[in-house]
Amino acid sequence: MEQFLLQNSWWIPCYGFIGAILTLPWAVGIIRRTGPRPAAYFNLLMTIISLVHGFLVFRITLGEDPQPLVIHWFTAADLDLTLMLDVSSVGMGAVELVTALSLLAQLFALGYMEKDWALARFFALMGFFEGAMSGLALSESLFLSYALLEMLTLSTYLLVGFWYAQPLVVTAARDAFLTKRVGDVLLLMGVVALATLSGTLNFPDLYEWAETAELSPTVSTLLGLALISGPIGKCAQFPLHLWLDEAMEGPNPASILRNSVVVACGAYVLIKLQPILVLSPVASIALIVLGTMTAIGASLVAIAQIDIKRALSHSTSAYLGLVFIAVGTQWTDVALFVLLTHAIAKALLFMSIGSVILTTSSQDITEMGGLWSRMPATSIAFVVGAVGLVGLLPLGGFWALYEGVDTYWYGQPWLVVVLLIVNALSAFNLTRVFRLVFLGPPQPKTRRAPEVPWTMAVPMVALTITTLLVPAILQRLYLLPDWTYINGPAVVLLMLSGAIGFALGATIHLNRTWARPIQTPLKFAQDLLAYDFYVDQLYKVTVVWLVDRVSRLNAWFDRYVLDGAVNFVGLASIFSGESLKYSVSGQSQFYLLTILIGVSILGALLTYLVW
Amino acid sequence: MVSTSNLSPSTHPLADIIYRLENGGALLPDSPENVMEVVGILKSYGVVLDAYWRNLIYISEHQFLVLFPFFKYFNGEFSIGKLLRHWWHNRINYEFAEYCMKAMLWHGGGKLDAYLDTQEFCDRAQQAIQAKLRGNPLMQGVSKAFPDFLIEQVRQMAYYSVLGQFWRVMSPIFLTLSDRYDRGEIKSIPDVVNHVLQGLVRAADKPITYAVNIRGQEYELIPKSAGLTFLMDAAVPYVEAVFFRSFPFMGTVSYNAQARQIPPEQERFSYGALYADPLPVGGAGIPPTLLMQDMTHFIPDYLHRFYQRTPRGETDLRVKICVSFQKSMFCVTTAAILGLMPFPADTPDPEQRKKNRIYLENWMDRLLESRLISVQVCEV
Amino acid sequence: MLSALIVIPLLGAILIGLLPRVSSSHAQTGAEVPDYSRAIALLAVTLAIFWSVLLGFKFDTSISHLQFVENMPWIDALGLTYRLGLDGLSLPLLVINALLTWFAIYSTDELLQRPRLYYMLILMLNAGVAGAFLAQDLLLFFLFYEIELIPLYLLIAIWGGAQRGYAATKFLIYTAISGVLILAAFLGLTWLSGASSFGYDPSRSQFLPLATQLILLGTLLIGFGIKIPLVPLHTWLPDAHVEASTPISVLLAGVLLKLGTYGLLRFGLGLFPEAWSVLSPWLAIWAVVSVLYGAFTAIAQSDMKKMVAYSSIAHMGYILLGAAAATPLSILGTVFQMISHGLISALLFLLVGVVHKKTGTRDINILHGLLTPERGLPIIGSLMIVGVMASAGIPGMMGFISEFIIFRGSFPVFPVQTLLCMVGTGLTAVYFLLLVNRSFFGRLPVQFSNLPPVQWSERIPGFLLATMIVFLGLQPSWLVQWTETTTTAMLISYPTIGAVGHSLTQKDKG
Repeated sequence: MEQFLLQNSWWIPCYGFIGAILTLPWAVGIIRRTGPRPAAYFNLLMTIISLVHGFLVFRITLGEDPQPLVIHWFTAADLDLTLMLDVSSVGMGAVELVTALSLLAQLFALGYMEKDWALARFFALMGFFEGAMSGLALSESLFLSYALLEMLTLSTYLLVGFWYAQPLVVTAARDAFLTKRVGDVLLLMGVVALATLSGTLNFPDLYEWAETAELSPTVSTLLGLALISGPIGKCAQFPLHLWLDEAMEGPNPASILRNSVVVACGAYVLIKLQPILVLSPVASIALIVLGTMTAIGASLVAIAQIDIKRALSHSTSAYLGLVFIAVGTQWTDVALFVLLTHAIAKALLFMSIGSVILTTSSQDITEMGGLWSRMPATSIAFVVGAVGLVGLLPLGGFWALYEGVDTYWYGQPWLVVVLLIVNALSAFNLTRVFRLVFLGPPQPKTRRAPEVPWTMAVPMVALTITTLLVPAILQRLYLLPDWTYINGPAVVLLMLSGAIGFALGATIHLNRTWARPIQTPLKFAQDLLAYDFYVDQLYKVTVVWLVDRVSRLNAWFDRYVLDGAVNFVGLASIFSGESLKYSVSGQSQFYLLTILIGVSILGALLTYLVW
Repeated sequence: MVSTSNLSPSTHPLADIIYRLENGGALLPDSPENVMEVVGILKSYGVVLDAYWRNLIYISEHQFLVLFPFFKYFNGEFSIGKLLRHWWHNRINYEFAEYCMKAMLWHGGGKLDAYLDTQEFCDRAQQAIQAKLRGNPLMQGVSKAFPDFLIEQVRQMAYYSVLGQFWRVMSPIFLTLSDRYDRGEIKSIPDVVNHVLQGLVRAADKPITYAVNIRGQEYELIPKSAGLTFLMDAAVPYVEAVFFRSFPFMGTVSYNAQARQIPPEQERFSYGALYADPLPVGGAGIPPTLLMQDMTHFIPDYLHRFYQRTPRGETDLRVKICVSFQKSMFCVTTAAILGLMPFPADTPDPEQRKKNRIYLENWMDRLLESRLISVQVCEV
Repeated sequence: MLSALIVIPLLGAILIGLLPRVSSSHAQTGAEVPDYSRAIALLAVTLAIFWSVLLGFKFDTSISHLQFVENMPWIDALGLTYRLGLDGLSLPLLVINALLTWFAIYSTDELLQRPRLYYMLILMLNAGVAGAFLAQDLLLFFLFYEIELIPLYLLIAIWGGAQRGYAATKFLIYTAISGVLILAAFLGLTWLSGASSFGYDPSRSQFLPLATQLILLGTLLIGFGIKIPLVPLHTWLPDAHVEASTPISVLLAGVLLKLGTYGLLRFGLGLFPEAWSVLSPWLAIWAVVSVLYGAFTAIAQSDMKKMVAYSSIAHMGYILLGAAAATPLSILGTVFQMISHGLISALLFLLVGVVHKKTGTRDINILHGLLTPERGLPIIGSLMIVGVMASAGIPGMMGFISEFIIFRGSFPVFPVQTLLCMVGTGLTAVYFLLLVNRSFFGRLPVQFSNLPPVQWSERIPGFLLATMIVFLGLQPSWLVQWTETTTTAMLISYPTIGAVGHSLTQKDKG
């Protein structure tokens, strides 16, 4: 039985895809008389199966050596593409996280999207999402990881584009796809180069190769940069970070997954790539620099947002920035730690704001207030999620950040400063959002705010409890530091930074009207942050402009220069102008005649030449 | 027809429609096809509303403060067959009734909204809550920590009941309209309007009350003494919340706060039944699809044949139903407008006619951006 | 056995020709006497599909040389032999020829004018292409290559759009020049090597001086470069596509362009391996130019069909890249890419055809919101998303694996050129996403709010093609097993593969 479950663990990603396929009769419109909810139930069922299967395999693999599962997918010439799966406790743990969050998000969607007739399509995409992510968690092959990352790009595009008739969705979906695609194509270049250099694409073989490989600095730098650009796009890091902001146009249940595990998938691949990235010091430095820029920049941008989803999504970029720093400094366990705790806490926060959005029909935090006493599950979820994210009370986020602070304490103290700043800004931002949304007097749009129905409340409460239990889980997994070795000053500093952020957020004057500061510099700073440092404008005048110009120039050249020259040479014009023009309106016999004459001349020529 | 010559011509962009109303017409132009469409669609709407109100009343009475209302759409009749049909989604989409209820609750208005904020209501609600929570220390604790939590739920329950009571009156009006049409008594759009108007007038002073029975004890949450009546406290807020304001559809409007597509004031919301674009119906993020879907099952044969003659036949049924539905809702709105008009439409007094004119112009201002113009010409 | 693939469609064409003439040219009167031409055409092509699939089953994948050879002297004086043979290069192309002809006939408008002539011509086209893929004699190949022009020319010129005369003539002249150049190269090779026949013999060129080889190969390259087409020899293609009706576009992109790439591999690389290895760096650069030029030009198009046409040019560039690199893997990739481009571009042209038929336009600046479920074209839109994603190389579909094999096979030889070609896949995403987002997302404009309904018969070809694209994307081995032995064997006589490839890898490592 155990062996059977292990041998068939490649089924785990397939369940999600099967669920997606099962929705087709409703999504395509073959079943029209009855509603689309069975499609949702099928997907929930498949997710549960996947969760149970994953759990059983996880139990088996716990404490055992990893048992790689090798599938020879495609062999041709000197290319052997194997799909290698890592059936280990880490991989299965990641699968469990993905499927569990996916289950909760789907349950949440059952309530959030209950009035959406395209429910089947939504669940199909969620199933696709889940399948691709569990595949990524298991993948031990860079080829498979790349393929699944691309599938995630596609399903992100389709999920963001779910409400395709909404004008902002049109651009958001496009930008999400193209931004990620830039990263993906660069990654593909890296994959192809790596495959050529090392002759394999399986991670264990690649690690072995990387230990002895000797590359020229240029090659290793280019390779390293190409490999990290995929995760940069996927994890919404500067300069490929804008899509996450825009992706908030998509449905909230998808945002739950996107901000917790989908971005984490990119980082997971990065962690897998880390032993190869060691080859390139430049890539490691790039990771640290970009991670730091994103962590601090996105934390600042988050503070200036008035849209509830965007206030949190920029914070996602910031936390992933911390993960990038950790990978850049070769501390992958810190990276995994941050990913895990961030995923759970952020998913909870997004559930909470999902129910706020549904109840108030608004995403503008300046229009909100006073929800606290009427929406207990939602309020508690937000508080617990926030506490679970920042380093203040000993929940998950605290321990993850502590791990980071402790790690950098002696070697790279300036990274400790970065962590503390991000923590303080994050605490500040969450306190600010909490005050605006839940405290204060009710406003017109929050005046009647009954708590959400059970389909949304149950996953929210479940995840609240899970978030509170994270330290216990960490303890079980021996991830918490031993009390005797605890770094006292680090704890104090971390708590202090969280407390400062909290205190500032609690005391600062908050405007509920979209009032602008009168002083020009302040106003400028607010706009700069609110509009994300105007990076999108920067793109418009550089990359987008360039592609647009080149393509127009090319098309012009093609039409007027090249084709013009052809027409000028006149072969076409003479024929079509004189002899053939006559027959255009006429009978097909004329065409045949023309052709026959042509072919006979050719034939005569041929015969003449041969003789 | 009464001559309008003693009034100066209106300068309103919709002056033609104002004159039509003053002369006993309706917002929807009169034509046999329109009558057939409107009556046919109101027939199926009546059937759907009948299911909706029964469920709303059932929930308000029997699912009062039930935390996990798994079977709230079952109306108390549970069987395995029904459960399977329910899971197969072979059922009325009661979610849409709740959507309308949420619109009324959220937009408020009328005496009901004000009453729900009074101390009297809070006391009554608190009694019912205490009764319900007896023997449940956990929920008692939650209720203590979050004092407004359950009261807000009771307010929502009140709206369940009020909307149920409103539709309980409206459903038979539409069904008898269809019967009278079948008997040949309804021949024009003004006949339709008049039928609805008579129904509204008859029920206008019907009291709106709400009580629940908890463990054999009756708890009056909205007593008769609150003085809520059908027309002013259910029908008018309903028209305002559902016909005019409603919620922005996620499928067509961005909720992004920085994009500012949604007005900050609820009064400026115009996403209701009279405004919504029928074309995206059936797509993602368009809740009225649920209602149109429910109505597909009950449209009378003559209307179904009419739809099948259009180019797309069955495939765009829900859009066509939505177009017809909007036409019929303009008839209902006409009835409401005429019913609330300060003076009778055919009054000879110029002063009164002037006030009527101003009243109508105010309505037209609100309808300027609605689908009113599009229903003037026949476009399915 | 092989002749059947030529004879079956020809018999079908003759049968249609023998049918009683329905009525001069009016479809209305045609209703009185049922017109069987469509049914006969479908039947003939169905038989051809079965026959080629049967051949596929009987095909021995372990043998690298020709199978089912038919040899029959024809005109001895000319040295022309009727010699047919099948190997792993031609087999998949034959199958796709039969398959796409079926789709083309199936998706032809049933109210077409002069159906008999139309179906006859399509069957003749099918026979001609099959003959070209099967011919193992240079002159025979040339004859089939030329014969296929006549029906195609007529199909564009009679059933095309407003500018069909211009486009068809342009097509004819370009391709005739291509034919003359190819013939010249064949004649030159035969004469100069002193052979007495036009039989296909890879070893023939090795005794020629390199300069002569280069000239002959250059002539051949331009000849086939027109057909493929490669920039700057491509300008006939967008015109021909825009003016041709949908089924003809499907055949043009799906099958006929493959004659060029097939010729490139079979006669360019196959007959002149030495000269090829000398020219290959330039060919790789040419591939990059084609890819980027096609992709950038596609971005600026507003006509969907032109966009797909320019995308074809870009995708054909990958084939040149793979052929230039000439590693076993890259050559395998080119064959795979031919099939994948055949299926994907057929799908895209079919869908664009439906959009055009329903809305009357192909302009992405006018079309919006076609995904709208009740009044739009939601299923066509969903299939379009599948098609463009496959074309942009999203894994799980054919486009990805074929491009991946080409890139992986070419990178060791031409790293920089390969990387630049990969930029092209990014650009593919740009223009196809513009297409989908502009015309399928958003709100349906008023003028399109009463589109005629889409029939299931218009969706079925799309569904089938999409299924094949996904299936072969997930199970590429099924296709590759036919081809691999042949493509590997093709390179036995290729001289410098090891040396070139090795030196560059060394440079990377050093």
